[in-house]
Amino acid sequence: MVFNKQGFGRVGAIAHNTMREALRNRAFIALSVSAVAFIIFSMILSELAVVGEGSRVILNFGFFAISLFVSVTAIVMGAVLLYKEVDKKTIYTIISKPVPRYEFIIGKYLGLLGILFIELVALACVWFLVITTDGGEITTAHMVGIGLILFEAMIVTGLAVMFSAMTNPALTALFTTGLFAIGRVHYVVQEMLQAKEGVFVDQPWARPIGDLVVGVVPDLGVFNVSQQVLLGLEIGSSYLGQSLVYALGYVAIFLCLAIFAFQRRDFV
Amino acid sequence: MQDANTESNPAENPSHEEGSVLACDQLHKEFTIGLRLKRVHAVRGVTFAVKPGEIFGYLGPNGAGKTTTMKMAMGLIGSTSGSVTMFGQSVDDPKVRSRVGYLPEHPYFYDYLTAFEILDFYGRLYSIPKSMRLKRIDELLEMVGMSHARNRRLRGFSKGMLQRVGIAQSLIADPDLVVLDEPLGGLDPIGRKDIRDLIYNLRERGKTVFFSSHILHDIETICDRVAIINHGQIVHMGSLDQLLGGEGKLVDVMALQGPNSVDEKTLCQKIEALGASPSIAGSTVTIVVEESVLSSVLSLLLESKLNVIDVTARRISLEEFFMREAGAEDGV
Repeated sequence: MVFNKQGFGRVGAIAHNTMREALRNRAFIALSVSAVAFIIFSMILSELAVVGEGSRVILNFGFFAISLFVSVTAIVMGAVLLYKEVDKKTIYTIISKPVPRYEFIIGKYLGLLGILFIELVALACVWFLVITTDGGEITTAHMVGIGLILFEAMIVTGLAVMFSAMTNPALTALFTTGLFAIGRVHYVVQEMLQAKEGVFVDQPWARPIGDLVVGVVPDLGVFNVSQQVLLGLEIGSSYLGQSLVYALGYVAIFLCLAIFAFQRRDFV
Repeated sequence: MQDANTESNPAENPSHEEGSVLACDQLHKEFTIGLRLKRVHAVRGVTFAVKPGEIFGYLGPNGAGKTTTMKMAMGLIGSTSGSVTMFGQSVDDPKVRSRVGYLPEHPYFYDYLTAFEILDFYGRLYSIPKSMRLKRIDELLEMVGMSHARNRRLRGFSKGMLQRVGIAQSLIADPDLVVLDEPLGGLDPIGRKDIRDLIYNLRERGKTVFFSSHILHDIETICDRVAIINHGQIVHMGSLDQLLGGEGKLVDVMALQGPNSVDEKTLCQKIEALGASPSIAGSTVTIVVEESVLSSVLSLLLESKLNVIDVTARRISLEEFFMREAGAEDGV
């Protein structure tokens, strides 16, 4: 893979077009509107909460809703990302141009990530508005939390692009959702593996599977800092940096696998 | 120039002619289909070379391997064996496609974009600077008669309009080689003439055009050379003079039936017995005959009390040649 100024221009064009497509897509708009409604709904729930727990509800609900909707958007849009290009044969007029296939994959990935970034910023603004309306204060920790959700979205998007390059939308959605769910409970599997009793002790044959899950599936719990924000704990910049490196590592692996699969495909 | 027989025989035709724009050498493509992994040999040892500045027609029935060959040339499909080069470079290197424009069969575009946006997008893929891109888009939209729809979304375009946008996108980088897969499909007669004129115009500007079509009349009108592919193999190749010149002339005979003429059924039987095929519309009988049986047919018509009103000799058409070859290939 060689990148020069022209290569960046082509990747930028593909990413821009992917974002433009999403912004004109009703599914994306519907998901974003649902997410906004969900966050605003947290204000009503906070009113119903035990006295003093209202801000906690808004905080937890906000983190949960933003993270969930950004990931769901990544899965929904990512599932059809490459499939649609092949199915609708729009790829014919792209690959037949001086566009290496890896640039196409990277462009599609960055385009989808771009749209998730826009969604994330929009949802964060709504969330911050809800917090301040409730009398709360926006801290650096909130910003860091949003940044970490973006890193998680990078991984989920990478997963979706990888499966999209290999299989159909239904399986892409299924596999990506499955790994997303496992990634979210990664720490639970880790604890079960370390426990002196439980499924991995009773069923020794399951241990290699548990080891594989822990070793291969990204730990998405790394990107959830809602408890730290709630407790007012400081989240250091080194944690943010390490999380970014962790996410980038997985993204690189997923995109390499996507490119490898896509490179060999015949567009009949 | 090679003589007709040499060039018509693909086995003796060198693919990598000096300075060829597009060359296929012993190109094969096998697909594996179905659960039983059945192998289908779509292209079998295709070898040809397209010279600079010529219009090269690629002709064959549905499923002959035309589109598969074109897709291999454009990097959409990998070959099983053999090679494709453009401007002397392997098509495996995407850079070579910076000098090539391609219109796929039944082109599909992002229908949420306007005509301007789609051309701008493709222009960016060719790394054309913005100022040049904007100028080129306006020129191309004018050239394909789509200036009026510049800012309309493709979603509302007719098939013919999409085909015109497809032609425009294939020319956005002012390529030296234009590969057009069925460029005249979906166009009305005016549209077909416009695209034919456009292809002529490309040749006048020194461009090379490699195109496939089912519309044999258009191929005959436009092309300098043609290759005929059937069952994945090139069965004939050469200029139209080379391909059709050696086939003998055909004569169109027109005659009018009179009150004393023999009945139609008997007449048809007698004409068919001479190896010619008549068609009758009202009192007019039209017969296409080979030169060798012309005198026998004319004698028959006079004996049958018909008035011969026109006898015109002409070269066999590409369609007649193609139908005859396709029939022979399929054992018809």
